[in-house]
Amino acid sequence: MADNETDIEGQPRIAPDAGAADDARPWGEQTRVVGNRRPRVDAWERVSGAAVFPSDLVLPGMLHAAVLGSPHANARVTAIDTSRAERMPGVYAVISRNTPEANPDWDYFSAHSGKLFYDHCRFEGDAVAAVAAQSPYQAHDALRAIQVEYEILPFVSDELEALKPGAPEVHSGGNRAGTQTYARGNIEQGFSEADLVLEQRYRTASEMHTPLEPHGCVARWDGDSLTVWESTQGVYAVQSKIADVLKLPLSRVRVIGHYVGGAFGSKLRTDKYAIIAALLARRVNRPVKLFMTREQTLLTQGNRPPATMTVKAGVKKDGTLTAIQFSGIGASGAYKAGGTSLLDWLAKDLYRCANVSTELTDVYINAQPARPFRAPGYVQCSWAMEQMMDALADGLGMDPVELRLRNIPAGTQARDDKPYTTDGLRLCIEQGARAFGWQEARAAAAQHSKGHLQRGVGMAAANWYAGDGGPPSTVIVRLYADGTANLNMGASDIGTGTKTVMAMVVAEEFGVDPDAVQIEHADTGTTQYATPSGGSKTVPTEAPAVRRACLAVKSQLLDMAAQQLGRPREEIVFDGDHLRTTDGLESLAIRELDRLRKQKVVVGVGQRQSNPQGVSITPFAAQFCEVEVNTLTGEVRLLRMLGSNESGRVINRLTWDGQLIGGITMGVGYATTERRVLDGPTGKLCNKNWHDYKLPTTLDVPAEVISEPIMLTDEQANIVGAKGLGEPVTIPTAGAIANAVAHALGMRLYDTPINPVTLIERVAAREA
Amino acid sequence: MLTPFAYVRPASLQDAVAALTEGNAHIHAGGTDLLGCLRDEVFGADRLVSLAALGDLAGLRETRDGGLDIGAMTTITDIAAHPLVQRRYPGLAQAAGEVASPQLRNQGTLGGNLCQKPRCWYYRGDFPCLRKGGHKCFAVNGENEYHCIFGGANCFIVHPSDIAPALVSLDAEIETAGPSGGRRLPVSQLHMPPEQDPTRETLLKPGEVIVKVHVPPAPAGLYSSYRKVRTRRSWDFAVAGCALALVMDGDRVRDCRVVLAAAAPIPWRSPETEQVLRGQTLDDAVIRKAAKAAVANARPMTKNAYKIPLFEGMLLEELRKAAQV
Repeated sequence: MADNETDIEGQPRIAPDAGAADDARPWGEQTRVVGNRRPRVDAWERVSGAAVFPSDLVLPGMLHAAVLGSPHANARVTAIDTSRAERMPGVYAVISRNTPEANPDWDYFSAHSGKLFYDHCRFEGDAVAAVAAQSPYQAHDALRAIQVEYEILPFVSDELEALKPGAPEVHSGGNRAGTQTYARGNIEQGFSEADLVLEQRYRTASEMHTPLEPHGCVARWDGDSLTVWESTQGVYAVQSKIADVLKLPLSRVRVIGHYVGGAFGSKLRTDKYAIIAALLARRVNRPVKLFMTREQTLLTQGNRPPATMTVKAGVKKDGTLTAIQFSGIGASGAYKAGGTSLLDWLAKDLYRCANVSTELTDVYINAQPARPFRAPGYVQCSWAMEQMMDALADGLGMDPVELRLRNIPAGTQARDDKPYTTDGLRLCIEQGARAFGWQEARAAAAQHSKGHLQRGVGMAAANWYAGDGGPPSTVIVRLYADGTANLNMGASDIGTGTKTVMAMVVAEEFGVDPDAVQIEHADTGTTQYATPSGGSKTVPTEAPAVRRACLAVKSQLLDMAAQQLGRPREEIVFDGDHLRTTDGLESLAIRELDRLRKQKVVVGVGQRQSNPQGVSITPFAAQFCEVEVNTLTGEVRLLRMLGSNESGRVINRLTWDGQLIGGITMGVGYATTERRVLDGPTGKLCNKNWHDYKLPTTLDVPAEVISEPIMLTDEQANIVGAKGLGEPVTIPTAGAIANAVAHALGMRLYDTPINPVTLIERVAAREA
Repeated sequence: MLTPFAYVRPASLQDAVAALTEGNAHIHAGGTDLLGCLRDEVFGADRLVSLAALGDLAGLRETRDGGLDIGAMTTITDIAAHPLVQRRYPGLAQAAGEVASPQLRNQGTLGGNLCQKPRCWYYRGDFPCLRKGGHKCFAVNGENEYHCIFGGANCFIVHPSDIAPALVSLDAEIETAGPSGGRRLPVSQLHMPPEQDPTRETLLKPGEVIVKVHVPPAPAGLYSSYRKVRTRRSWDFAVAGCALALVMDGDRVRDCRVVLAAAAPIPWRSPETEQVLRGQTLDDAVIRKAAKAAVANARPMTKNAYKIPLFEGMLLEELRKAAQV
């Protein structure tokens, strides 16, 4: 293409995205950077402590805030006296319902509106008042001096109790927060065609969000403009919520979130703390830092809701599934918050089955609202469905791997049978089983069992309804005169390695090392709009936009080279950090382009294009597990696990494997140690610290975790060929462990978690 | 957040004792339990008395009688790693090695471990429970899966120490210093049964400090072990534990002490088990009978009946191990 636009010499042109890369295909087999094991671009900052997380931030004149939460499961605030707190040393401001100018409307997820400091605290920990003081100690001392009178109200903290007649109502009108049904085929006919029908109830405990860095922010006003440094998955989501609540234009709210100490779905949105920090900061005209205490994160910052699931499934002798009936009850908490979100998806989508019906009931209870939690709904459903699959296999005398392979769907049954772009489910199960040595291990388990130490081998498979990614995303890449680059993207790196992956994409395109890529990200003031990093969609959403921005730059470089070499553009190709003519006669480095040297920078804009219609871009997973169960004590030891994932192209094998190990670790906690305990008589949270809320330790994770990626490029997915990985890696873990334990014991446990407390009575009862 | 307190670091034991007798003073040894309690407002302190300057209180020394003195300020790591402990009292080494996590073992001390506060979530949480001067034990009608099956009376905590049961099984003694002089006391008599006083964990008097622990010489034929079952494999307290000290004469049990951990508000000696074992050959019938005897008199609460098969199974496993030596 001839350079037929006139432009002022030396002025960068922003190339339109369209036209630059419409014909782009994913990279071929040969890549220079993509696919390597690449340490984090910010590894030094993270390891040395130089990285400034929002909770590390200290600004001149900054005050510290603290929030007083209701200590009751359900109570009405009848009076607040803050006068003593206000007079305490170091205290600058106290806000509560007594300060109406600092008590805006606040709604928890739309269905119910109230105030920031609301008279009716429907869950323990809901905000009653807040303080800003010179030091965090003074702020917390002041909280103790606030006198609150509560009218304690009846509560309900168990979702099954909440559905019974006469249960205390969380909101007037009953505790049903929502119901949902789905059906295809004819369920009764499906059961009548079955040779074996099983029905079982399963229960998963609530798993609480507790990322290493608590939830919180620092807020600072400059005149009418607010800047918030927040530990978040999405700076734009925080910006819009703050603007909405404080009635500010978006242009007056800047949100920055360069580092995030873990999130897992709990930081997709902001919470009351950001509004409180902003209100306090405005009141005292100083920056204010407000981070939740660990107890407050556990009380108020979200959870994977508990689930009670009943599965009835029918199967023919040859292993063909004929019917799946799934009913699930989940708890949103005190406000509608997706208590049954995606809970039935694996039941209706993972295995081929013509006749399916599902029914979901979301329930209000007097506990904090739920939040998305790494594969919401799927992790719960997997626990039930994957155990049911194994029970069916047992009943048929069929190998569990074989049963699953007989029921591989060609497309997404929950979405009009749109065909999958890969055969990923089969590949994960087959290749994973081979790499794990499934048949050998399964057969040898009995002979490896010694007395009370029983071996078992189990597996589970999964898909994930998202993981395709999609618009919107806008990314800007600048190529500097020396051939190095600046990547400007709005997305957050929540610890998954997003920055590193994107730097690798840029490095691949420009023939440089990822270290040569400077990254600006997660700042609404300086970067372009991005959706929060979550849903396993960050790589498939952002990486194509990053690549398109690079291609937009490269298109301009081709023009420059054509002009400089006096060759048609079509005769010039990129070769690493060089351009050369197709006849091999001429070559020059990108940094030797005269035009680039003059204008100093080339700017490219990339936008995420829509996904192809008519297909389903879905990631798949299978995990395999070997355990040893002590039948005298109920101890379960995880000996080894293998995770096989098909998420399209592996961009960074290190971050890929890191995701798998992290996902399995989280699943180990779900399966064996974690559960929320609400006190029966008071509804208060018993385990609100890291001793009582038991996250798995290094010793609980098997010493051997093998990552077995399916190496393919999903050509139809997008121009990098990659799909999401962060959630598929944790969905099948708990079910695989449960199946291995069942194989070891010859009996099943239907409730999470499985550990001596829950296991030993069942085993002992059988032995007796 | 901690409330304000004075901090002193006396240079002599005498000064430390004196500093502890004024006001609401607490000993700061390793601090791993104390600081958590203060931060969680389980109790307050006007003054913390650090024992860090009392170098004599740390270390292990073999005594003339062939026993072992362990200073109260000795870290848990040093006990677990000490060759003499590992050789003569493997049960004590195992108990120390099972405590908490490596970081906590490096910081925590023997004296602190013996005097630690219960982990009951009602006691640690904002519940005005009996142990904090309130009127009732919230565990009775509440979430009591981690509570006791023996010795509950009015408060149903379990004693959190792994080391105390091991020391009781070895018939160890503590030596204290206090305002009215020192004394020696068997570890088995250190801890306060809740029916006597549910607000205190030990029988130590105000100002009284554990100086050291004396472990008597290991008798010929001593087999000792400690076993801990928990829901995760590090940084966790026992849901069930047992310390065995069997004095074997060939394959016959000449004498024995069996002490259960996480069973009762104090380290819980099981005379029922000991009685079955004493004088008997460790065959499987005796072992089964002994394990059953351990839980025969247990009184589970609403949610901890699992501890009955658990203690029985754990003792079966441990006694079978002992029989194989």
